[in-house]
Amino acid sequence: MKKRGIGIGCMFYGIGYGFSRQDISAATVEICEDGSVIVRSGEVDYGQGSDTIFCQIVAEELGVRYDQIQLITADTFVTPNAGPTSASRVTYVTGNAMLKAARAVKKTLRSVAEDILGETDLIFSDGMVFSESSREKEISFRSLAKAAHLRGLQIVETAWHDVTTKDVDPETGQGKAYSTYAWASQLAEVEVDTETGKVEVLRLVAAHDVGKAINPSNVEAQIEGGAIMGMGYALEEEIRQEGGHVQNRSLGEYMIPTALDVPLVEAHIVEVPVSDGPYGAKGVGEPALIPTAPAILNAICNALDIHITELPANLENIHRLIREKGE
Amino acid sequence: MQNFEFYSAVTIEDGLACLSERGETCRIIAGGTDLIPLLRSEEVRPVCVLNILNVEALKGVAEEGDCIWIGPATTFTEIMDSGILQRSAPLLVQAASSVGGPQIRNRGTVAGNIATASPAADVLPALMALDATLEVQSLDAGIRRIPLTEAILQPYRTCLRSDELIVGISMPRPSSDTRGGFEKLGRRHALARARMNVSVVLRTDPDGCVADLRIVPGAVMPVARRMTEAESVLLGRRPEPGVVETAAEALAEGILKTTGRRSSSEYKLPVVKNIFKRVLQRLC
Repeated sequence: MKKRGIGIGCMFYGIGYGFSRQDISAATVEICEDGSVIVRSGEVDYGQGSDTIFCQIVAEELGVRYDQIQLITADTFVTPNAGPTSASRVTYVTGNAMLKAARAVKKTLRSVAEDILGETDLIFSDGMVFSESSREKEISFRSLAKAAHLRGLQIVETAWHDVTTKDVDPETGQGKAYSTYAWASQLAEVEVDTETGKVEVLRLVAAHDVGKAINPSNVEAQIEGGAIMGMGYALEEEIRQEGGHVQNRSLGEYMIPTALDVPLVEAHIVEVPVSDGPYGAKGVGEPALIPTAPAILNAICNALDIHITELPANLENIHRLIREKGE
Repeated sequence: MQNFEFYSAVTIEDGLACLSERGETCRIIAGGTDLIPLLRSEEVRPVCVLNILNVEALKGVAEEGDCIWIGPATTFTEIMDSGILQRSAPLLVQAASSVGGPQIRNRGTVAGNIATASPAADVLPALMALDATLEVQSLDAGIRRIPLTEAILQPYRTCLRSDELIVGISMPRPSSDTRGGFEKLGRRHALARARMNVSVVLRTDPDGCVADLRIVPGAVMPVARRMTEAESVLLGRRPEPGVVETAAEALAEGILKTTGRRSSSEYKLPVVKNIFKRVLQRLC
């Protein structure tokens, strides 16, 4: 028999390291003579898309095209330390360092532009710098960069951003452990084959408060990828050990979901800007997979009225619980 | 990757000569989906690897009188695409389509599935249920025919001698009133070893009684076999729920008798019964 159920999982998650652990990131932004922009940071993009986000932040701040940004990351020979890609901190911490460094070079560029144009209400947009009140007073970003170089100005800046928090009260455990938190709810709909114990996830709906989605399709992809990872964790992923030796040492034996196992994932982006995030943004990397397993287990519980206290909820474990309930 | 001589046969005789000369030091490769990982992990260290994928006489599906002939180097994808098999043995098409993923099915071959003799093979038990016979040839002894049910000695070991090559797989063409069913249970929808599978071939007489029946579960015993214990329960009777239940019991008992009680029995026995009943229900 096939039984269906719906379950919900909710979470909140501290972004960054928290609990007084050092959480600092650096970025360097340099304006070249031809108006191109070189950005350097030790932060590694291992697929989540932070390189895209950095280019977007710097491009937005300087009013230049995204593809004018040349990014150099994760090369200890030339990049400043940005700390690890972990704790869902990259946009929130390194993104802020990017913003600060971009603003610092912009300040120098602005003073040159004010001098050339004779106006102070300047706007950097679409590769141009112009006066808001007298639109005809304008200079291209490229010419401005050239002018700044001819004046021998420093238009390379490194900025540091520090979100290290105070520790919580050692007696009570109370306090602000993290500088900001992410919030999410996910809903799972499952169909369980009671004859085999096989759980089919039919649908995952994931709503995540990311502060501000700097790149909405990137955020959606992170939510989808995270939820699928959470589904694998809930249903099949397991490291089997015997005497400390891992028994399933290949992806042929460690069962992550394939494309054919992936259900419809509906990502909903919730934007409640945080005051200290770049453009209000915070992290989504880990939060995307945190509520998935609870949502799926609750859905199985809803379908079968069995409580699962052990992962993975694989064929054998689900069928055993069904048998135990029947007996 | 290790070093070995690589010999690519163009004709069957080429291949047989190579096997006759090299014997046990030679491994045969077709799609390579089983052998390449073993070569990489150095679980096998052959002196020579004989490629048979270029031998045209070892490929294809054909109808020969009352038989269907399948070339051993026919890939799973070619099995799936074969009009003859889609019409006459959809069970085999289903089994082939459950193997690995598209890339593996494009490379992996029927004879590879047999010769590897994995306990979790998908196509091997389906072929057993279809009453397949292997045509095996060597330079010295010519052709001999081995019923597939007798060909597998133990997990990963067949009765083939080191100078023998599978040159054909034949099976009686199922009559028009014969039906076949296959179901695989895996941990995911692709690239999954069978947790178990069940192949059933069934023919009922005009009274609705079971006239002919072959049941072969896979991945529940070290070596797949026909479950005659369960077949005899159903033969000559109408497949009514009570009878099917008794047959399912006999199936589980038969497996238990073969394997002894294992930690996996607790799961596998009730579930193989359920899948068997499901497959049978679809056929009746």
